[in-house]
Amino acid sequence: MKNITGSLEKDLAELKKILPAEDILTFEFQSEKGLAFTCVFADAVTDKELLGEQIILPLKRYEGEATAQAIGEFVTSPELRKEKSLTKLAEEVLAGNPVLLFEGADEGIIAGTKKVFVRAVSEPPTDVVIKGPREGFIEDVKINTSLVRRRLKTPDLKIEMLKVGRRSQTFVAMCYLEGTTPQKTIDEVKKKLQSIDIDVVPDSSYLTHFLSTRPYSLMKQSGTTEKPDIFCAKIAEGRVGILVDGSPIALTVPYLLVEDFQASEDYYVPSYRATFTRILRVLSLIVAIYGPAFYISAQLFKLQLFPIKLLLTISGSIRDIPLSPSLEMLLVLFVLEVLNEASIRMPKYVGMALSVVGALVLGETAVNAGFVSTPAIIIIAFSGIGLYAVPNLIEQTSMVRLAMLLVAGSVGTYGIILLTAFILLYLVTSENFGVPVLAPFSPMIGRDLRDSIVKYNLASLPTRPKAFKSKNKRRLKTHE
Amino acid sequence: MNKIAPRQLYFLLAAVMPVGKLILMPTQLAYYAKNDLLFPAAANFLLQAGIIFLIMLLSRSNRTFYDMLCYTFGKIAAKIVLSSLALFLFFAALLPLFEQKLMVQSVFYDTLPSIVAFAPFYLFSAYLCAKPLCNFGRAWDIIAPISIVGFFGIMLLSVSNAEFSALAPVGVNGAGGFFGGTAYTMSWFFDSALLLVLIGKFEYKKGMAWKSAVSYLIGAAAVLVFLAVFYGIFSDIAERQFFAFSKISKYFSGMTVLGRIDYLFIYSLALVMAYFCALPVHAGVDCLTQAYGNDGVKPVIFSVAINGILLVLSFVLDYRFGVLNDTITKTLFWIFPAFSVLMPLLALLLRRKPREKV
Repeated sequence: MKNITGSLEKDLAELKKILPAEDILTFEFQSEKGLAFTCVFADAVTDKELLGEQIILPLKRYEGEATAQAIGEFVTSPELRKEKSLTKLAEEVLAGNPVLLFEGADEGIIAGTKKVFVRAVSEPPTDVVIKGPREGFIEDVKINTSLVRRRLKTPDLKIEMLKVGRRSQTFVAMCYLEGTTPQKTIDEVKKKLQSIDIDVVPDSSYLTHFLSTRPYSLMKQSGTTEKPDIFCAKIAEGRVGILVDGSPIALTVPYLLVEDFQASEDYYVPSYRATFTRILRVLSLIVAIYGPAFYISAQLFKLQLFPIKLLLTISGSIRDIPLSPSLEMLLVLFVLEVLNEASIRMPKYVGMALSVVGALVLGETAVNAGFVSTPAIIIIAFSGIGLYAVPNLIEQTSMVRLAMLLVAGSVGTYGIILLTAFILLYLVTSENFGVPVLAPFSPMIGRDLRDSIVKYNLASLPTRPKAFKSKNKRRLKTHE
Repeated sequence: MNKIAPRQLYFLLAAVMPVGKLILMPTQLAYYAKNDLLFPAAANFLLQAGIIFLIMLLSRSNRTFYDMLCYTFGKIAAKIVLSSLALFLFFAALLPLFEQKLMVQSVFYDTLPSIVAFAPFYLFSAYLCAKPLCNFGRAWDIIAPISIVGFFGIMLLSVSNAEFSALAPVGVNGAGGFFGGTAYTMSWFFDSALLLVLIGKFEYKKGMAWKSAVSYLIGAAAVLVFLAVFYGIFSDIAERQFFAFSKISKYFSGMTVLGRIDYLFIYSLALVMAYFCALPVHAGVDCLTQAYGNDGVKPVIFSVAINGILLVLSFVLDYRFGVLNDTITKTLFWIFPAFSVLMPLLALLLRRKPREKV
């Protein structure tokens, strides 16, 4: 690692050797006393106006000593750092912070005049609410940390900045409440983040693979949110939050399965309504996963499952279908998945046309042509909608639904039961940073059940979830 | 993984263990004791509850059964005893496994499926048995409520059709019926032997002995209620009504409109049964692991081997359930009290702390 030599020519040549790219520009100027300066900066990511105003203009009038200390005190920029290593200076240039070199320099000066291109803070499309805050995280980590800081104005909120990615040098902000989040969890998360040795981190989802204790797990290994209010609430419960520069999706660990059945709005509406909607989410997910599987298993192995009148209706509609019940259901599911995938990727207006073609034309024609039956389409349609009642689990639940379908078509209902037993067993033995994924149901934690599928009112939730083993247990002062 | 919590143990005793007694035991009891079927069942339950109480007292030292055997007789003897206990547990697992297989073939399919339909159970069991027994504790937290919902659902749908006067007059079948019923249904009562394997895997807390016994008796009471409803519905033909829990609720009047909603509860109990049937196999694998060391691979080998053998037995004895049932319940029934009554009683005499070096 080469350091500043004091010779402007040599230092500049060395820096240029590290940064040969054409968008790395230099601006040379002299002070009134004749001291030579060169400012090295990356085009487009440096705010040139600010650089001129805060650094270059004042330095043209500079008459003091040629030391970084003296120059740093003279310029008007509020964000200045000094660095001897040329490699680190080069990294700063790439990050958008101009570097000032001068003749006889003992250190290079880094000015914080990075140009930030950010979109406005807006409501995240994945988590729309009727009641409650509408702010969402954006791609800039600094703005995201400011959104968090605005909600948690306490010195206990610690935001540790780490750099991950050998080439991308992505800023990762690790947020937690000191004294609330267990030190063991903080250390473990930090250790895992620091041990990541990857080229580029384009999105926070890259980090989830490295944060997981079971990398090949079927289950999610970290919670995700785009909303600062949820993020802060999770931190306040004793979790560690992770914000990644370039990603609007924040991660939270340890992850509990139940948190994906909870929405931010549950905390802004009366508790009875929140309980009702949570139960609805659970039921719709169960019906979405098991509905198609039980339907084909009943058709193939146990017709008694249908009430007699329904059985007559179904037998009427499936009479002329050339495919077996499981193949028919798999075909409809395949069409649904293709439509789903295409409608997400296609341009908005084409997507709308696609929905019409897919849902109306294709569905109707397929039934009329006798390829598939109406009940199969109804069941898969409901299943498709039902899965989205818990959107954060869609990747896992859609796979479980497919597995259930395959098992139901080959083994029948007992296969569904065994697969359920297997999944339950898998879940009860899963832990995330020492916290059981199925808490507070398994292990059963009575107090934590008050904010699980059932939601008590806030006055009845005076303590933080016990599952996280927080030292600071109480979050609400009660007047009993 | 943490130790088994006391609550999880109570759940096991109250809501998981009784489920294994709902498949064929009611018909067996009805066959021997007729309308007095509650008494032999109650006798077996009371005997087991007493033994469970004593085993819990034994667990106060927080040592495993194997440790105690080692302290008293040395390692070789401990290995022999634990291996024999493992063999017993595999033997005890046969009846619930085959009962469950028949139940699956009869209840889950309109036409008799091939044995392959039940074979995936051994995959599940092999996966489960390869994991430490303590892991099971958390599963009980989840399956106990499922068991309770399933049981109460079935009871709710069937109790209105029961004619409890069928249970009277009491005692007409005499002592023969009572003792026959008690002896020939002992094959379903090996709960205390299972608990013997579990000691040392939970931390004993004050009052756990009587709480465990009471939990077991709560489960026993539920089974007795079930037996009463079962006999109340089927009366004299009860001894021919196999897989009772899947049949007693089908006369519910709302079924004509709603369809067989009782299947929801039957499936819930079938899920719990899958866990229960794997429990003796799991406990047996745990005994072998304790006796022959746990290097991470051995439990997997034991689990795959034992479940493989059971799978082969399922194929071999596919149409021989009658012979198997008679052999276990009539000829070899004495093995059950030997391991689930005598062995726990003798275990009370074991040394609970290592011999002090002089």
